[in-house]
Amino acid sequence: MNNDRTNTCNKDWKKIARASGMAIPDSALDRIAQSLDALEADFRPLVRALPPDTEPAIAFHAVLPAAAHQEAHQEAEDAE
Amino acid sequence: MTLLEAAAALRRREISSAELTAAALQRIERLNPSTNAMQTVMAEAARECAKQADQELARGEGRGPLHGIPIAVKDLFRTQGVRTTGGSKLFEDYVPDHDSTVVEWLRAGGAVLIGKTGMHELAYGITSSNPHFGAIRNPWDRDRIPGGSSGGSGAAVAAGMVAMAMGSDTGGSIRIPAAFCGVVGLKPTYGRVSRYGAMPLAFTLDHMGPLTRSVRDAGAVLNVIAGYDPRDETSSRRPGGNYVPDIEPSIRGLRIGLPENFYFERLDPDVDAAVRAAFHTAESRGAEIVPLRVPDIAAINTVARVILLAEASALLEPHLEHRDLFGGDVLALLDQGRLLPATDYINAQRLRRAMQYECAGLWARVDCLFTPTTPITAPRIGETTVTVGSENEDVRLAATRLVRAINPLGLPAVSIPCGADRRGLPIGLQIVGPPFAEALILRVAQALVPAEVPVPPL
Repeated sequence: MNNDRTNTCNKDWKKIARASGMAIPDSALDRIAQSLDALEADFRPLVRALPPDTEPAIAFHAVLPAAAHQEAHQEAEDAE
Repeated sequence: MTLLEAAAALRRREISSAELTAAALQRIERLNPSTNAMQTVMAEAARECAKQADQELARGEGRGPLHGIPIAVKDLFRTQGVRTTGGSKLFEDYVPDHDSTVVEWLRAGGAVLIGKTGMHELAYGITSSNPHFGAIRNPWDRDRIPGGSSGGSGAAVAAGMVAMAMGSDTGGSIRIPAAFCGVVGLKPTYGRVSRYGAMPLAFTLDHMGPLTRSVRDAGAVLNVIAGYDPRDETSSRRPGGNYVPDIEPSIRGLRIGLPENFYFERLDPDVDAAVRAAFHTAESRGAEIVPLRVPDIAAINTVARVILLAEASALLEPHLEHRDLFGGDVLALLDQGRLLPATDYINAQRLRRAMQYECAGLWARVDCLFTPTTPITAPRIGETTVTVGSENEDVRLAATRLVRAINPLGLPAVSIPCGADRRGLPIGLQIVGPPFAEALILRVAQALVPAEVPVPPL
């Protein structure tokens, strides 16, 4: 995975909050802007490097589907 | 006394559950004013339960090693008829009409529930300095935090109030207090222990597990709480087994991964030395140390933060019109989560899947990994930044830096004490294994730690 963490954040958090109708005071937004900018700088390059066919882990399971399939197959073979 | 030692004494009739419970209540009464570890003490219910346990044991109706043992659970496990606050003002009067699965199964195993432990507000932080119910204090130094969010559980077990307290772990919340308080903290594989009835913080990251005074105790508790629960959609059907390791287990031939990148890059020197010493101990017992490069843990941490921010804010958004009911640190995180677009959450879950595949390759090369649990020992109450090496770092980000990535991967991990820093504060070693390898990591842990963790000078 390409992990080039170039800071490309140009989001205006106050405008985003207002446009979304969130009642977050400006003082609170000032306090969190730096954290959000830093997260954005770390996260955005990861997203850009994501292969397009990667599906989300919507129902998360600790064992990967392929491994689980293999295991079930093995269990079936053992049972025979 | 460890849980299993107390269980053995009960079986030999050297002590009764009533006596164990009375002693625990007495210790809570003496030490809780200075530690604030217990949020709610259930003295009468516990005495009644202990009496019943003694009667059952006398009739030969033993229900296993937890039968008659006083225990506590973090105040986010729903308990029928007993207030469950989640450390939050929002739920300060909430009295559930049902038990969480963990509590139900612990009770079925005969455990005597003596109380609910305090925690970081909504389990969303690592200091356990709760703005509504007071700061929880570390028994090793009461000017310092116990870690969190299961800070009350860590402090209660370290102080010897109970032999076991349940915790929850969304980004390190069992392992961090275990490290800071010098006890054992086990985060099982995602799906191994039911989340049903535990107040959620982030559905896909929350794990439930015990904090104990010995590794074998953690295994004994896992024997009771692990298993399929249809009320938790992500509960695993995979069979469990016996998680209690032998007293002197062999680790000969096991391959222990020594991460060459990330985990040792920015540590307190005392932590670095103590964890490296653990590798030598393992090697002296026949394990093979395998240096290796691990996947990009910083990137996994980033993904975990996006998932946590989004899930927690989605969950608590209906309450956010009452901003005065939240502490400042939690409110700041909830505000951040609301500002992330849905696409970020979906992409974080896509990245998570890719990273899970990338990390799965590790287990072909090693049986488990050793890392420090935290890069630092317990900070002082009120400290918001710590100096690690030559850098200042936010306390929350520092404390979670080495543990957070394990949650999105769903891997089992245990933190065990592995020495103390120059001030005498405990240091934690994290042992991480492949999915559902709890028995293996507990076996390795048992080979490295004494039968019972050290007791702080109280």
